[in-house]
Amino acid sequence: MIITLKAFATLQKYMPEHADAYEVPEGTTVQELLDRLGLSDDQVRLVFINGAHVSLQAVIAEGDRLGLFPAVGGG
Amino acid sequence: MGILEDAVSSAATTRTLSCGVRRILDQAGVAAAAATTGLTLRQIEIAALRQEIIPERYLRNFDSYSYEQQIRLLEASVFMVGLGGLGGHLLELLARAGVGAITAVDGDVFEPHNLNRQLLSSMDFVGRPKAEAAALRVAAINPSVRFLAHHSYLEVATDGAVADPKLREALESATVVVDALGGLKDRLGLQNAAARADLPLVTAAIAGGSGFVATVLPGHPGPADFLGAGDADEDQLGTPAPAVALTASLQANEVLRILRGKGPSLAGKMLLFDLTANTFETVTL
Repeated sequence: MIITLKAFATLQKYMPEHADAYEVPEGTTVQELLDRLGLSDDQVRLVFINGAHVSLQAVIAEGDRLGLFPAVGGG
Repeated sequence: MGILEDAVSSAATTRTLSCGVRRILDQAGVAAAAATTGLTLRQIEIAALRQEIIPERYLRNFDSYSYEQQIRLLEASVFMVGLGGLGGHLLELLARAGVGAITAVDGDVFEPHNLNRQLLSSMDFVGRPKAEAAALRVAAINPSVRFLAHHSYLEVATDGAVADPKLREALESATVVVDALGGLKDRLGLQNAAARADLPLVTAAIAGGSGFVATVLPGHPGPADFLGAGDADEDQLGTPAPAVALTASLQANEVLRILRGKGPSLAGKMLLFDLTANTFETVTL
C-alpha cells in the first residue's frame, strides 16, 4: 500500500526518495515503519496519522499521511 | 461628564479616514490627560476607548480589534519566560499591540551567538542582561505598558509551585502564560506552573526550519509531555532568524487572540511548520 511521509528537523535526512508515495506492506505498524526507515523511538517523539497523534502500535492504512516530529526546543 | 471623561474628550480630535470618521487621541493628548487627572497613560487610553476614542498609537489595530477588545488587551496581563529569540520578538509584538501588563523572566546575558536572531540583542549589549535590554525597549516603544523584567531564572517544583513568591504572585495574576524558553529542560516545569495557576500556556519551539506553536489548557497534555527534557534538534540545526520571527508572530497572534476574548485556536493542537518546504499543518495531540 502507498502512504505519504512528512518528517521535521533532523528526521528529514531519513526520508526515502519518494516520501510522498512510499510503499509499505499492508498492516504495517508505526513501530515497523520507523524500523524500516532506520529511526529509533528516541529520535521520533511524536507521530501523527492524518493529523492525529498516535502510538507506535498504531496500524497504518492505505493512503495515510504520517508526520514524524523529533525533540525540538529552540527559542 | 466626569473630570476624566472631559479630560480625554477635550484632548481628542476628529479625523475622516478611509474607514470612516474616527475620534483620535494622540500621544501628547494621552500625556496631557494623564497629567491633568493624575492617572497613568494606560488608564487614560482605557478611558478614551470607553468613549470610542482611539489612542493614535493603536489606530492601525482597528477595525481588526474592536474598542472592547483593545480595552481587554490594555487590562490584560501576560507572564512570559524567556527574552531570547522568541521572547524578544514576542515582547515587541505584545507591547506594540497594547497589552497592559507584562512580566518577563530571564536570567541570561546576551552572547555573541544571539545576534543572528534575538531582537533585543545588539553589539553593545553583549554581556549585559536580557531583562535590562527588554525594559529599555518596552519603555521606548510603549510607555503605557506596565513592564517588569526579572533578571533571574524561574524555579518551579515538580508540582508546579513557583519558588520565588514575587514571581509566583505575578504568574498567578496573569491572564496568559507564555513559554519563550530556549531548550527543553524547563518547559514541563513551566507547563505545570501554568496548570497549577489554572492559566492557558502558549508554547513554541524551533529547530532549523522546523517548529511548532501550541496552546496548553490546564490539566491537558502539551508538547512538553512528549518532547522530553534533554538535547534537541536545534543543537544540530540551529535557530535561523526567519523561523524564530515567524514562530514568535504565530505565538503572539494566539496570545492576543486569547487576551481579546476570542478563545485559543490551538488548544490541544500543534501548528507544525517546515520552512524548508513551506508547509503548515495543524495536528491534534
